[in-house]
Amino acid sequence: MSEVNIKEYIESGILEAYVLGALTEGERASVEADMVMYPELAKEVAAIEAAMESFAQANAEQPPAHMQQQIWNAIQQQTVQSAPDVQSTEQSTPQAKVIALPQPAQRPAWQRAAVWAAIVVSVVTNFMLLSQRNKSKEEIAALSSQMDSLKTSQQEVLAQYKKGRDMLADTAMKTVVMRSVQQGKDMTGMVFWSKTTGESYLAIHNMPMPEKGKQYQLWVIQDGKPVSMGVIDNNLVANAGSMYKVPIQIKAGQAFAISLEKEGGNPTPTEVCVVGAI
Amino acid sequence: MAPVLSYSEEELVLLLKQQSQDAFNYLYKNYAGGLYGIVRKVITDEQTAQDVLQDVFVKVWNNIGQYNTEKGRIYTWMINIARNAAIDKLRSKGEIMKSKIHTGEDAVYNVQKGMKTEQSTDTIGLKEAVGELKPEQQTIVSLAYFKGFTLDEIAKTLDIPLGTVKTRMRAAMQALRTYYNSN
Repeated sequence: MSEVNIKEYIESGILEAYVLGALTEGERASVEADMVMYPELAKEVAAIEAAMESFAQANAEQPPAHMQQQIWNAIQQQTVQSAPDVQSTEQSTPQAKVIALPQPAQRPAWQRAAVWAAIVVSVVTNFMLLSQRNKSKEEIAALSSQMDSLKTSQQEVLAQYKKGRDMLADTAMKTVVMRSVQQGKDMTGMVFWSKTTGESYLAIHNMPMPEKGKQYQLWVIQDGKPVSMGVIDNNLVANAGSMYKVPIQIKAGQAFAISLEKEGGNPTPTEVCVVGAI
Repeated sequence: MAPVLSYSEEELVLLLKQQSQDAFNYLYKNYAGGLYGIVRKVITDEQTAQDVLQDVFVKVWNNIGQYNTEKGRIYTWMINIARNAAIDKLRSKGEIMKSKIHTGEDAVYNVQKGMKTEQSTDTIGLKEAVGELKPEQQTIVSLAYFKGFTLDEIAKTLDIPLGTVKTRMRAAMQALRTYYNSN
């Protein structure tokens, strides 16, 4: 195709039809082949696609909150069915984790007695309350719902505690303190990293809030090369000392670092703030 | 919800290939709204749309191993999975046949009526973006993108030449590009 033909091709509207999904199988294949041959066409398609992505973002509609867990369960279920060897314990749902908490094999007799006593007291109390005053039913209902919410929050605390305990008990978990490399600026960040699982947690300590249009970016140095672990949300900077799990898994590295970059991050670090060797 | 780190397109692919729950949560948090919005444009019934959204995430999850950047932008790849799943569902329910049987005039009327209802309930963003498009451009984009019509089917339905369909598509997308680049 000559330059003129490419211009005609682009202006014909066939690339728009391609992105909007209005081509037949055969036409699609032919456009895709042309895109491989002529990068100008691929560039134009990418620009049209970007507009449709903006359209999708502008018209986003949040599905009901329960969908997130429901979809994850569906993904897990089919994983278990198709591949029973997959580490199902590690990827089980939060509820399952709580159920799987280790139970003491046998409670001591006094504990069982105490439990029974508590149940007896509860039953007797209930009976007395019920027989004495009808309206106390409402109080009981309120209490039981309170207990439910206590139970739920207890389960949450337990799950959180277990997570923290697992993290601390993991002897492979390394604590890496990242210190300022900029003279006169006192900045620190910490990364907790488990080489065995590849999991890591990030905590920011006294780092200044980036100016508008800038964001911090987390890096791991692998064989002398910085590899991005993600751009850090400014909320993390505001909540100094809080620990956040890094979604991406890291299997190897010699150092962690945080740099200041333009919003959205850069492929390589420009202004390094803190560094800590592993 | 704790704040999360954010990722570029390439990093997102690497993250998803790890198949961890953290990766899923990141994917869901950042893309569920956009994908559900697309599905809802095709399927108005909420329950059906939710079923489709679940299928879409399962498909994205299972096929991320085969995705590579040569297949285009990852968000577009996911949007296309969502659109195709929604249109397939629409067809399986036989609803699209109804609109295809209609004469051209009826179809245009229905589509425009449909878009008007959407406009009245949708976010300001859509009103603004679609408001930039002329009615005949809206009809063509909607028939292709949300109803799964081919160029040929659109030309026959609206009784206009194939070339006109393509040039209107081009003009519509140019308008959307200008709109989103300046906003």
